[in-house]
Formats: sequence, structure tokens, C-alpha cells
Amino acid sequence: MKQHPLCSDCEPELDITQLPIPAGLKREWSAVETRRRFLGRSGKVLGWAALASLFGEAALRGHGADAKNPALATRNNLGLPHFAPKAKRAIYLFMSGGPPQMDLLDYKPNLASQFNKDIPNSVRGNQQLTGMTAGQSRFPIAPSHWGFKQYGQTGTWVSDLLPYTARMIDDLTIVKSVNTDAINHEPAIMFINTGNMNPGKPCLGSWLAYGLGSMNDNLPTFVVLQTKTNPKENNQPVSSRLWSSGFLSSEYAGVGLRSGGDPVLYLADPDGVDREVRRKMLDAVEQINRQTLADVGDPETNARIAQYEMAFRMQSSVPELTDLSKEPQSTWDLYGPEARVPGTFAYNCLLARRMAERNVRFVQVYKRGWDVHGDLVGTLPILCQETDRPCYALVTDLKRRGLLDDTLVIWAGEFGRTVYSQGGLSADNYGRDHHPRCFTTWMVGGGVKPGITYGETDDYSYNVVKDPVHVRNFNATILACLGIDHNRLTYDFQGLDQRLTGPAPAYVVKGLLA
Amino acid sequence: MIVAERVTDAARGFIQRVRISTSAWLYPVGAAILLIALPFVFRLDGHAHAEWLQFFGRFHPVLLHLPIGLIVLLPVLEIAGAKRPALREAADLVLRAALALAMPTLALGYMLAYGAGDTGTTVTRHMWGANVLCIGLILCVFVRPAWAAGRQRLAYPTLLTVTLLTLTWTSHQGGSITHGSGYLTHYMPSGLRPIFGADSAESVSPDSFYARHIHPVLDAKCVSCHGASMVKGNLRLDTYDHLMRGGQDGAVVMPGKPENSMLLARVTLPSGDKHFMPAEGRTPLTSDEINWIRAWIRAGATPTAISVPGVRVIEDHPEPPPQPVGDYSQLLPEIRAMQNGVGAKLVPVSANPSDGLILRTADVASSFGDAQLAAFQKFAPYIVEAELARTAITDGGFDTLQKFTHLRALHLEGTSITGIGLAKLNALTQLTYINLSGTKVNAQSVTALKAMPHLRHVYLFNTAAQSDESSAKDLQ
Repeated sequence: MKQHPLCSDCEPELDITQLPIPAGLKREWSAVETRRRFLGRSGKVLGWAALASLFGEAALRGHGADAKNPALATRNNLGLPHFAPKAKRAIYLFMSGGPPQMDLLDYKPNLASQFNKDIPNSVRGNQQLTGMTAGQSRFPIAPSHWGFKQYGQTGTWVSDLLPYTARMIDDLTIVKSVNTDAINHEPAIMFINTGNMNPGKPCLGSWLAYGLGSMNDNLPTFVVLQTKTNPKENNQPVSSRLWSSGFLSSEYAGVGLRSGGDPVLYLADPDGVDREVRRKMLDAVEQINRQTLADVGDPETNARIAQYEMAFRMQSSVPELTDLSKEPQSTWDLYGPEARVPGTFAYNCLLARRMAERNVRFVQVYKRGWDVHGDLVGTLPILCQETDRPCYALVTDLKRRGLLDDTLVIWAGEFGRTVYSQGGLSADNYGRDHHPRCFTTWMVGGGVKPGITYGETDDYSYNVVKDPVHVRNFNATILACLGIDHNRLTYDFQGLDQRLTGPAPAYVVKGLLA
Repeated sequence: MIVAERVTDAARGFIQRVRISTSAWLYPVGAAILLIALPFVFRLDGHAHAEWLQFFGRFHPVLLHLPIGLIVLLPVLEIAGAKRPALREAADLVLRAALALAMPTLALGYMLAYGAGDTGTTVTRHMWGANVLCIGLILCVFVRPAWAAGRQRLAYPTLLTVTLLTLTWTSHQGGSITHGSGYLTHYMPSGLRPIFGADSAESVSPDSFYARHIHPVLDAKCVSCHGASMVKGNLRLDTYDHLMRGGQDGAVVMPGKPENSMLLARVTLPSGDKHFMPAEGRTPLTSDEINWIRAWIRAGATPTAISVPGVRVIEDHPEPPPQPVGDYSQLLPEIRAMQNGVGAKLVPVSANPSDGLILRTADVASSFGDAQLAAFQKFAPYIVEAELARTAITDGGFDTLQKFTHLRALHLEGTSITGIGLAKLNALTQLTYINLSGTKVNAQSVTALKAMPHLRHVYLFNTAAQSDESSAKDLQ
């Protein structure tokens, strides 16, 4: 607040630290102040170094640092990772729509004899059903259309739909007892990604970006890859709400790479604009932005500055990332020919491996179409054909390149599917409705115990009978693999120490950890 | 002849001194003959008999401790009675009570064995031991009055001593039936084993899956009733031969057919089923153990196969715990300056300083060479991971790297090193991970890695040294 020279009404200088606003905002403000002075001293050109502070390991430290607490390279002085992490980075293969667990990995041999019988009331209980099946007069059991065989030294049963997954079954940590609170796509997918059914909370990737920061200044910390939809499948929408940074600064939001054409729109310079011109333009915008920052003090302006600089660096790093011409033949042998087509799941898995090599902290690959309410026998083989081999290729590729030791790969959807058929059950086709009470996920790599199956469901894959893993605990376990105590990665917002796992108690599932 | 006359003379003298009428001798002798005849009348033939026999028989373990306690009390009373005569009088009552309890105990024990169809050397020994014990007690009752009156000095003490020794031996046999023969020696310190001659069970071929995973399960869970010492249902499971021979109902293992193998059927019944094994509430098999047996039978139930498909018993080779690095607080200002500058960074592994630092070069990889690496020498003891992938590091960098005494992981993938000088890393006792994918190393230049103490994860993907499909080799 500037004082008018003729005004005798002495208004005190506005002191941000005295205002009744969240501590997080004050922290953000003091960071801005420090950064501003620092940038002010560094003259007109905002150097790489200063910008590195925004995206690389932050520059703002030194509060009470001593030998015990070096306060080094921990973003926002958060002191993370809390303990030595097993995994430095994670790749999340998200199967949007809800894969049917009993047709893939949750083998239920007893169902074959119960074809078209009603599911016992004692099993179904009185839990809520969706509007899609609540009106059905019967709930006939639909055994899986596909056979299962045992694979590997672990003798794990795997559906004939997943021949490639079967090959790596001894490396996987399979969790059959994951359960969630929501029965519909949007709340459930929000819940597993952000820990809350309502939009507005930061997602797992944003928490990681905020808490752990970047390992490579030239690429975003958190990248989202969408797979092109297949019109034969029932595609539920996914939106940027799922990779939103919520109340965290928007620089921690996921950066989406497009599934077709240019991975990032308008990244290439137009004709007649060279790097020099682009740099000058950015410097000018920079000055305007810093002026705004000085006047208004909105932390989001910082995020904007950072994103401009990131975009500038991505002009060279993204083309290099997506240039697959130097990939050896062994890559194509592994991922298959589909990996050459941008936007396919195989292509995205290959890109995820290239990002892991380049130390991108978190990559989330979305594959839609798992919402098999009807014609399951027709669509599930297509879905598995699209995803089975790439999943195997990604894990195998990371393994042979020595990246699986410190990369955590997660395969999960937002919920499971019902054992009873939705709509008509015929001898050779059926559909399955949403089922939040149990679903199957798998993990592999840094931090998790290979070759185990954790948790058990009943004979109908309907209820968990042993070692339930709630989604909150699943997320807490993922954070633990990355060196984070989920109770201590918090952000003060709306009067609550917000965290990914929410205010209810959540636990790390020790049985999954290596 | 002379010997016989002497014996009869001695016997006459003994009988006169004991002062029991000849007709009274009929009781103990008759009882002894009955006891000795019992096993021949009701032979333990390995078949189960009437269930009521087992109902009563199971009270045998309940009752047997009473006579034992009384018998052990006897010598105490007799010896203490030398000073306090009242105790001698009590001893007489205790002796008779012991006999009164020993006889039904023996009867119940016999019902248990005969009813359940138990056979085996230990069962037989236990039975004869109990017979002798009861006969000894009967004789003690008849001989004691003469000893108490001072007419017969030796007979009673001798008989009592024999009875006590018999009791000890018989009880041990009984314990072996219940707990298994190795029960007492199972946790014996290895130093004592040779002295007591307790050896470990012999096995088929020591590294076979049977010897490592199947035999130990049977030994722990089944052999107490189906072993050399006790054979229920005519089935022994203590050796491979006996296991495959089966029992009174035929074979229990059908190689290749787990679903037809009675061994598996009986252990997978619902736990309330009367045929469920292990019987009588003993510890059931775990699901892992059942899976091993099932997979082993499916694979042909061989005594020699090293591994069977469908089972992986995860052998834990825990990584050596990381050694904490020293205190680098003196260097903090420099490290911080580096964080803010352009170039390689030193990043802490975690909030705990003793976890060490990571050398991160991703942003400047192409310009990071041996000279830049050498500049990090002063931080060398605190660096636990060096991310040098795709940098300009060459073989010359090993001179610097060998000073990274706490290095656990070394990334060199995509560099132009050829592997000459890899041997210098021998100095790094903490190194568990090295990634040489996409470098110019070859089979010859990586031989140096074999000598490294803790190296577990070696990656040679896309190099001339790559030997097979998987590039990760476990050197352990």
C-alpha cells in the first residue's frame, strides 16, 4: 500500500505475516519475497539458475539448517523424502472404467458350476447397487468365459486373455483385495487419484511433484499420457481434474502429452521465429510477469513464469523424448509394431520407459474403455490385446535396462466388476456392473515384494475375506515406496492439514513392501 | 543241578522271610501273567476298533500323571522315613494308591492304542514298559511289609529302583508318541549333539525339493503319528520310501495326480471333518505347505527334482544394510551453492543426512566428463549413488570413482566407457548396483565385476557383454 504524500492518515504497511491466512500461503509468500529479491539482483535476464529453482531442486533453503537437518534440496523445506526411498520414480498404468477382476487375475474355479444361478443373498448382502442393475429381478452368476492356467514358479492363476502378463507373473505383487468407497466412475476415479471423491484435491502425481520435486530440469516432473480411444469400447471420460494440483500451486499439475500429432501443441516455433527471438520474447514476458507478481503477489504468477521457462526448455527436450528413430530393434521386438503408432497404449508405455530413463518423477498412462457393462466377451479380448503386451514390454524393458530397481510400476483401475451379469446372460456373452467391494491391482519394481499375491476374495470375488486393502492404504503404500510418510506430507488448506490419504487414518500395507 | 537247587533254596528262604503264604502269591503272579498275556490276546494289529474304546482311551493322558506323581513320591518318603517313621507308614498307602491308579491307566492306554489302531516300535515299547511297571508295583506291594519289618533288606529297594527306572523309560516312550522322537533334542545346542548322539534326520538327496520342502513339513506335522516310533493306519511318512508305499488304505501319493492323492485330500478337508489330518487338533498344514505338496505331487513326486513348477520358495538374501555416511555439515555451504548453480547437483537421499547424497547430472549430462567428476572428490565419501548415465565420463573416471567409498549404486549407462579400469571399483565394498547398459564394455572387460564383494545387480543390456535375454545377472 503506497501512501499518498498529502495523506496524513498513516496506514501501516501491510504485513503479510500478521494476516489471518493459512501458513501455507505465508510460506508461499515468503518464498516469493525471497525469490523476488534474488531475481531482482540477477538483473534483467532471468538466468537458468533462478529458473532451475522453480522446477529443479529448489533454491530456497537455509532456515535453521544444521548438521542434523541439512535442509538440502528438499522443496519448500518439506524435508522429503522422509526416509530412504526404494523407488525414485513411478509409472502408473491407469485402467479407466474398472477391469473385471474375475476375468483377469482373480481366478474363481467354483463359478463354472454356478452358471446362471442366483448369487446367494448372504454373499450379496444389502449393499448399494448402481442404477444400472438395481432394477434387475435376478442377479445370475456369470462365470468367466476364459480359461485360467498356472504360470511361473509362483503357480499364479492367470486368464488366457493375458499371455504376456503371465510371463512376468513371478515379478508382480498382486493385490486382490483393494476396495473403494465409490461405485461410479467419476467419484471412484477421483478417489483413487486424489484421495477424495470431490474434485479439487491434488492428485498423487501432484503430491509427488510438490513433495519430491523434479529430477530433470528439462522435462516436467509429472507427465500424463492419454491413450487414443477405441470406438469399439465403452469409454468413460477422463479429464484434467484427475491430474490437477488442486490447492497446490499449478506448477505441480500433470503435463498432458497429446496422443496424436504434436505431443505438445504450439511447442515448435513458427516459421521465421528462431530460438534467439523466442528467448527475447520470453524475457520480456518475464519482466511483465514479475511486475505483476510484485504488484499482486499471487503465487500463481510464479507458476506461470515457471511454465513459460519449462515450455522453452521442452522445445528441445520433448522432440528428443519422442524421437524413437534411435530405438534398437530389440525395442520393437518387445513392444510390438503398435508401439510405432503415436497414441496407442504400446507407444505410451514406450514413452513412459523413455521418461523413466530421463528421470521424470511420475508418469501416468490412461487407458480407457474397461467399462464392460455389456458384450464383455466381445470387448475384453480387444482391451487385453491392446494392453497385455505393452505392460509386459514396459516391465521387461525397465528390468533389462536396470531401471526397475528404483521405479515403481502400478497397474490399477478405479474399481472392479460384479460377478453377476448385467442385462442378459447367455451361454457365450454377459456384461458386468461396477463393483467397489473388491478389485485386483498389481505393482512391480522398487519397494514392493515380488512374486506374492496379497489379500483374498470370497468364492464369488464379491467380498474381501482376507487382508483388505482400502484405496487410502493402497496410496499410503505407494507413497512409502517413494520414501514418503503419508501422514507427514501435508498442506495446510481450509483449516486442515490436507494429505493424499485424507483425514481418516490410513496405513501402509507392510505385507506388500519388499 | 546244583545251581537249580541253590536257586530253589534261595527262593524258599526268600518266601519264608517275606512270610506270605503260598496261596497269596497267586495274586501277584496271576496279575503279572494276565498283564503279559494281554498283548497277545488283543494284538495291536494296526486296525481301528470300536470307537468307544477310543473315547475312554483318550483319558489315558489325563490319568497317567497321577500314578507317576505317586511313584516318584515313594523313594522320597522311604528315605525321609529313616528319620521320621510316620512317613514310612504313609509310603505304604502311597504305594497302594499308585498301583490302584496305575492299573486303570494301563487299561485306558491299551484301549487308546487298540481302539485307534496304533502300531510301531515306540507304541510297543511303551506298552511293555507299562506292563513291567505295573508288575513291579504289584511285587512292591507284596514285598514291602517284610522290608518294613526289617526281615528282607534287599528285595524291596531293588524292586523299587527297577520300577522307577522302568517308569522313566516308559514315560519317555509315551512322550515320544505324543511329541515325536526329536522333541527333546530339537533345540539342543549343536555342541551337545555329538555327546548325546542326536543326529539330524537322513534325507534322499539333500538339495532336492523333497528334502528341502516336503520332508521337513511331514517331519514337523505328521511323523509324530506316522513315523518309525508310532504308526497309525499302518502309514509311515518319515522316509520317502514309506511315504510312497502308503498305508492300510493303499497309496497316499499318486505321482502326477494331486487330486487323487489321499495325502493331499486328508490335509485339505474342512477342519471339522473327522478324517482331517493332522488329527486330534495338532497344528494343521499352512496353505504354503499344502501348495508345495500339491505342486510336488503334480511334478511327479520325485525324490531328486531340485525345483518343481508352480512353486517358488522365496529365498531371502537380504541386501547388506547401508552404512551411514559421515557428517558433511562442514561442506553444506558448498553443496547449497551447487544446488543453485548450473550443473551437477548433490541431492540428499532423504531427510536423514546419514543416508548420504546422490550425485545427479541429468541436466548437464553431455558436458559432464572426467574433469567435472574429479571436482566432486571432496564429497566422495558422502555420495551413495552416482547418476552418470549418458554423461561424457570415460574409463578415466574410475580413478575418481574408486574414492567414492560409500557408493552403493553406479549408473554409467550410455557412456563411452569400455570397462578398462572397472577393477578399480574393487575398493568399493558397498557397491551393490552397477548399470553398464549401452556402453562399450565386452565380456572380457566385465570379468572384473565377478570379484566385487556385494555386487548383486549388474546390467549389461545392449552391450557386447550381454550374455542372455535378461541382462540382469545375480552374481550371488
